[in-house]
Amino acid sequence: MKRYHDIVGDGGSRILEQVAEQRSRITDGLAGVRHLVAVGSGKGGVGKSTLTLHLAGALRARGLRIAILDADFNGPSQARMAGVQGALFVPGSHKVSLPRTRNGIAVFSMGSVIPESEALDFESAAHGESHTWRATREFALLGEVLASFEWGALDLLMFDLPPGAERTVQYADFLGPRTSFLLVTIPSEVARGVVARSVAALSKGPNRLLGYVENMSGYYCRDCNAIKPLFVSPEPFDAAQGKPSGLEIPCLGTVPFDPELARHCDQGIPLSEMPQTPVGQALDHVAQRLLEGLT
Amino acid sequence: MKFLCVPCDSPMKLQSVGPPERGSLSVVYSCPECGYEMAMLTNAYETQVVQSLGVKIGPDNDGNALSTTGSGCPFPGMIPAKGETRPGEAGEPTPVRWTAAAEARLANIPAFVRPMAKTGIERFAREKGALEIDEQILDEARDFFGM
Repeated sequence: MKRYHDIVGDGGSRILEQVAEQRSRITDGLAGVRHLVAVGSGKGGVGKSTLTLHLAGALRARGLRIAILDADFNGPSQARMAGVQGALFVPGSHKVSLPRTRNGIAVFSMGSVIPESEALDFESAAHGESHTWRATREFALLGEVLASFEWGALDLLMFDLPPGAERTVQYADFLGPRTSFLLVTIPSEVARGVVARSVAALSKGPNRLLGYVENMSGYYCRDCNAIKPLFVSPEPFDAAQGKPSGLEIPCLGTVPFDPELARHCDQGIPLSEMPQTPVGQALDHVAQRLLEGLT
Repeated sequence: MKFLCVPCDSPMKLQSVGPPERGSLSVVYSCPECGYEMAMLTNAYETQVVQSLGVKIGPDNDGNALSTTGSGCPFPGMIPAKGETRPGEAGEPTPVRWTAAAEARLANIPAFVRPMAKTGIERFAREKGALEIDEQILDEARDFFGM
């Protein structure tokens, strides 16, 4: 009796072929992109989206062609922060054009089409059992976005990933070995522990780990013009080693918390419109280290 | 998934796919050797898992692939069209026509955002006083949004 691999094709459903065609469209769509960089963590609330946007801004200021794909479909924040809420998706002759920020960064975010008062929803035949299929559907959606939008010639496409150590690995699998990872943590043992799990999980695969950024590394007090501690960590950042213990990847820099930056994010104002501040200088330093890591 | 006719030791061919009924698809295969037919009846979870891949199931017009798991759109009704008004409702906007070329370009937009994109472009056209959307209007919208 014939076995599975003795039979060519699948009798007509072409499901595997269709999935391969989807992958081929994604590869074609990203052919003009020099570097794919995913910004993840594993931990939520550490500032992945903020860092993604402002690192993109710092790289754009160096004349690079940058796009951001907000891969957090369920909690998109880039549309608001980048000032492209309500922007239209306009079809070109082959692909769909991407909205751009004032400083020329192309941005895809579900936040451009789904109001903040609504949640991303999928029609389903399996009511009340979304845990069995939802992740698959979201990755199909990501594939559709990658294949349909006009990414064109870019120096960097940055992916703003959702939280979850296991999700970070799923994105690595889906985006393939071309994608490098930048992880974000904050100076708390809890956050570092979760990020260390992401490092451990990603280290098993072929994706390159560029390093990590320690965000909220102190609080910038404008009144004192000084950086004060924000977290009390039993293992403070070790400048000599260039990393806190537990994360065996390079530290690309530390970024202090600045309430003014948060206000800029809420209002969609680019970092370039902020005067020179410690947070701006720190982001610029990380952007430089990121570029060095990619070349 | 593949099906084998055991008496003939021959792979079976997909013949037809019945539309989803309460989450179940009826997928009919037949043996090209003996003509024996069998149907795979999926439960809602099986249907949903395949649909979640963004693929279509069933023979296409050439008789050798694809067709439907419903509307043909892998993301049917996922996102409601923002600000869409049904005909007859108060405040119904002036109808806007789409030329064939503009409609063909609209098809490039992934199905999950197409209704919203369409509504937004129609609003843009109305604000410009246009009652027909052609490729020039689409290019103007691209320029307007800095694309």
